[in-house]
Amino acid sequence: MDLFQLEMKVNGEAVSVPVNPGLRLLDVLRDVLHLSGTKEGCGEGECGACSVIIDGELVDSCLVLAPQAHNREIITIEGISADGELDTLQSAFLEAGAVQCGYCTPGMILAAKVLLSKNPKPGRQDIARGIAGNLCRCTGYAKIIKAVELAAAGLQQKEGEAGV
Amino acid sequence: MKKHGYGIGSMWYGIGSTAATNPSGAFVDFLDDGTAIVLSGCAEIGQGSTTVLAQIAAETLGVDLEDVAVITADTGVTPDAGPSSASRQTYISGNAVRLAAEKAREQVVAKAAELLDLDPVDIRLRHGQVWYEAEPTGRTIKDIIAQCRGEGILTLGHGSFNPVTTNLDPATGQGTPYATYAFATQIAEVDVDTETGIVEVKKIVAAHDVGTAVNPQNVEGQIEGGCSMGIGYALLEEVAVKDGKIQNPGLSSYLIPTALDMPEIFPVIVEATEPSGPYGAKGVGEPALVPTAAAIANAVADALGIRLYDLPLTPERVVAEIKALDSLKPE
Amino acid sequence: MSETSIVGKTVLRVDGPAKVRGESRYGADIDIPGALFLKVLRSEVPHGLVKRIDAAEALKIPGVVRVFTHADVPGENSYGIIVKDQPALTDKVRFRGDALALVAAETDVAAKRALEVIKVEIEELPPLYDVWAAMDEKAPEIHAKGNILTVSRVKKGDVDAALETAAVVVSRRYTTQRVEHCYIETEAGVAYMDDDTLVIKAGTQNPHYDRRDVSRVLGLPINRVRIVQSATGGGFGGKLDISVQCFLGLAALKLGRPVRIVYDRRESIIATGKRHPFFVEYTSAATKEGKLLAVKAKIVGDTGAYASYGPATLNRAAVHATGPYEVLNVDIKALCVYTNNPFSGAMRGFGTPQMAFVAESQMDLLAQALQLSPLEIRRRNVLRPGSLTATGQRLDKSVGIGATLEAAWEKACQVMPGLGGEAR
Repeated sequence: MDLFQLEMKVNGEAVSVPVNPGLRLLDVLRDVLHLSGTKEGCGEGECGACSVIIDGELVDSCLVLAPQAHNREIITIEGISADGELDTLQSAFLEAGAVQCGYCTPGMILAAKVLLSKNPKPGRQDIARGIAGNLCRCTGYAKIIKAVELAAAGLQQKEGEAGV
Repeated sequence: MKKHGYGIGSMWYGIGSTAATNPSGAFVDFLDDGTAIVLSGCAEIGQGSTTVLAQIAAETLGVDLEDVAVITADTGVTPDAGPSSASRQTYISGNAVRLAAEKAREQVVAKAAELLDLDPVDIRLRHGQVWYEAEPTGRTIKDIIAQCRGEGILTLGHGSFNPVTTNLDPATGQGTPYATYAFATQIAEVDVDTETGIVEVKKIVAAHDVGTAVNPQNVEGQIEGGCSMGIGYALLEEVAVKDGKIQNPGLSSYLIPTALDMPEIFPVIVEATEPSGPYGAKGVGEPALVPTAAAIANAVADALGIRLYDLPLTPERVVAEIKALDSLKPE
Repeated sequence: MSETSIVGKTVLRVDGPAKVRGESRYGADIDIPGALFLKVLRSEVPHGLVKRIDAAEALKIPGVVRVFTHADVPGENSYGIIVKDQPALTDKVRFRGDALALVAAETDVAAKRALEVIKVEIEELPPLYDVWAAMDEKAPEIHAKGNILTVSRVKKGDVDAALETAAVVVSRRYTTQRVEHCYIETEAGVAYMDDDTLVIKAGTQNPHYDRRDVSRVLGLPINRVRIVQSATGGGFGGKLDISVQCFLGLAALKLGRPVRIVYDRRESIIATGKRHPFFVEYTSAATKEGKLLAVKAKIVGDTGAYASYGPATLNRAAVHATGPYEVLNVDIKALCVYTNNPFSGAMRGFGTPQMAFVAESQMDLLAQALQLSPLEIRRRNVLRPGSLTATGQRLDKSVGIGATLEAAWEKACQVMPGLGGEAR
């Protein structure tokens, strides 16, 4: 089988790798680029554990074939903490107790990130809708929703301070 | 039409394996710089046990939480802590860690008492400092451990704990299956749509007696997660099996609650402290789920005046029961 | 209790930072260069004797290194936390999902292709899907000791006499369904030899048990097996059983190469334990003042093809069958029954969520019959310090059921305005 020269930006860095065109983006991230923060939970786009951000949108990377990611900009969980410092959402997940087994956490944080990029002041129902494609079996979602509220408030405050 | 109902579910749950030995062991190594390593076979599966064990070790050793590292669940390194099941790890492995930490601590206390010419019973270790009753002595744990090392003394501790139980009589089941029990009451509020049969859980109040809540936020997290799993059990989930074959082996056909299925949950922590537990703790992992479906089923019965005897309470079943009752009613 | 400064305080999870960064390594995340991929061939047949497994075609596929069957298991080919009744690779099929063969290959694709061409000859036996049929004396035996695995009893007082004097008696039948744990992380892990020690890293709830049964199945001394729990993405009881451990161990030991395995969701659901479906006949009786007089119950649990934690589940169900109430006269019988269904094991609560549904429904039925509120009938019956449980255990300390009842009611009155306070 001919290999496909996949070019994309992952977490801000240009990537160019020859891959089997039948590979899923999930496999490219995990097996080729060794970014194992992106998880597989169901392989059919139901659980959201494999969520990544592609050009600003939340996408299940198990449903994306490698060529579909060509020339796109991908952000994974490894890409959201600038210079090793935790992202506001990551800190909020810790503070709110939104992490238990942690397996859904990367996808959940990215879902929340996309939500807040589109709606900086979400209500509880907006948050529930924003993370409804990401399954969590441990938390009952209560503290995840709380974490997103905390992060939204934190971001608002940061923005306010920056504006002064 | 939407009908509204409330239901109570209460439960008890024996902590640890039923009428069986289920010990746990732990090692604690109090190190040269006043930090400590805890070794426990306890498997962290998301329930928060590693954090709880770190808290118990730090509390017992008199150091800050950041100064405790817990190494878990490696049979090449850690002693057997038994399974992470039966809501047993806080109570049983928590006790093993407490005992191990007490042994390590005793050596530091004994040396401090000797150096300061004080009675060991008056020595307290807090935040890495050595105290004489309510007064700091100016000596640190690190100083004392250095003194121990200079004399060739390692500040190690090991502990093991097995809850006090008996066998059950095979004919009558009489005996003491558990050393202690957790308790809970949950109250559910539901709306039932009589046309579609869809049950919507609006709110759940969940009051849990966990003994001392070692980490209250973590206890709440267990309760909220348990309620979510209980909602799935009551209303949504069933592995469909036909002729021994699972018909829904995927997450597109086996549905669990999403964020949109969750009501507001009000956890209430009740602390009936258990004298044999580490700092009075019992457990919460399973109790969180146990009464949820019961409370929801009772709420549905309250709403409809009809009781369903088979789980899950699917829309099809609810509608069928409403229709069956209607067909009995005179015109 | 003396003042504490760390216990009793909310502190941040010690494993939290690695988890929010996506840096925790779960079983499928552990990357060992050169590791072989393992896949399991599972039975489509529910019950039968394996006559022949022919892997000749599979071994011709480039990249396929080895196909293992029951004949390759070096130690005792049986594991189980309570009853050693489950083979690692079987020569008798007991459910649609039993492991027949294990493929090791250089690539995932080659391993999958191998599964498609392994030929298995099975002499089928009549299947039993129904617990009642399985309990019939003439039913074919799924395991050598018969289909009723265990019978748990809890008896005290004189139930029949109590039923005669009771003001109200309520008898009902209940059923509960089979449920999947559905942890978001499926079963996965790696194994390799470290000199003469077999190292297995996998998600688990009980590494020391894993070590015992891996050493048993592989015929190794316990100290030559090292189980390291990888970060585990939920368990809820489903990762208490052996899943991938023996496969990993067998292949790494026999091939001397690192190996890895990951169950996809389908395999995770098909091959691992479930919550027991229960069939319950339950009678409870009370005085006209609403004091529980008697509880009589027969509980049958479908443990499917293997015991797993079934005996513990039914035993716990029996012990907890009354609910958190004082009852003087108790007669509970709980049977754990084999069928050719997928096996049932431990799941959060071990039979008590099933029994809570039953016992709490009964409490409301009694309340209704006596024109008491659900709150009031519970108030009159909850265990208190000094109470005797159904097993005759005297509870003295830390008996918080009454406190949870009052606390829940108080909170509910605040947050559920329609509840109507004490008037209900």
